[in-house]
Amino acid sequence: METVTDDLHVAVVERAEAALDVAAALDFVSDPRFGGIAVFVGKVRDFNLGRQVTGISYDLFVPLALRTFQAIGERARADVGAPLKLYIAHAKGDLGLGDLAVVVAAGTPHRAEAFRACRLAIEAVKHEAPIWKQEHYVDGDSAWSEGCSLCEPSSEDAHGAHGEHGHAH
Amino acid sequence: MKLRIALYGALREADPRGYLELDVPPGSTIASLRELLAAHLREHAPQVNAGLVRICAFASSEEILHNHREVPEGLELAVLPPVSGG
Repeated sequence: METVTDDLHVAVVERAEAALDVAAALDFVSDPRFGGIAVFVGKVRDFNLGRQVTGISYDLFVPLALRTFQAIGERARADVGAPLKLYIAHAKGDLGLGDLAVVVAAGTPHRAEAFRACRLAIEAVKHEAPIWKQEHYVDGDSAWSEGCSLCEPSSEDAHGAHGEHGHAH
Repeated sequence: MKLRIALYGALREADPRGYLELDVPPGSTIASLRELLAAHLREHAPQVNAGLVRICAFASSEEILHNHREVPEGLELAVLPPVSGG
């Protein structure tokens, strides 16, 4: 499930079908115009909030997630004000420790814009895209992570283009 | 009218089918749909926290629908708990 234009590649990848591909992301954002590429890779880690994690299941509302990724891409383009190629892919389904959950890559003429676009995109994916994380623990228990509400009219202002706010995700 | 609402995240546990169907009066707003859904969950799905609905968003496959919006006819909606991607 993906939408691809010349400058923007957004995808949701079912884990049972494929792993996320960092090399493909780098390849997509490479361009003769671009001297800077920034990549963020999010992986499943083994410990969260004091509990031993054995895996994560990701649930996504795919059509809206893809539209949200596209809107994030357009916002990043407007924000950096430079030529930009952006790649956003998120995994869906049951992931094990070390599996790739999300890959964001940004290619731009210079490094400052690449870091900026990459940061903007990953923060927006975390705070705005319809994606839910269920952690599985070593004791057999599971829990859906607390997250960011999408229903507060002020949430866009609060999260804005620049990043990180108080809570721990 | 009958409205199908797809369930995601923690609210999937409200119904193994992955969706609910509610009877919604024509012209209802998303705010009133929110109340109907919370009441439905309290009655039919005590295993989920109906209070979660207060901080959920409603959406079509194209956009988030805020409280003042009218429930669109003939579309399936989704109820979106707070998100936790990445």
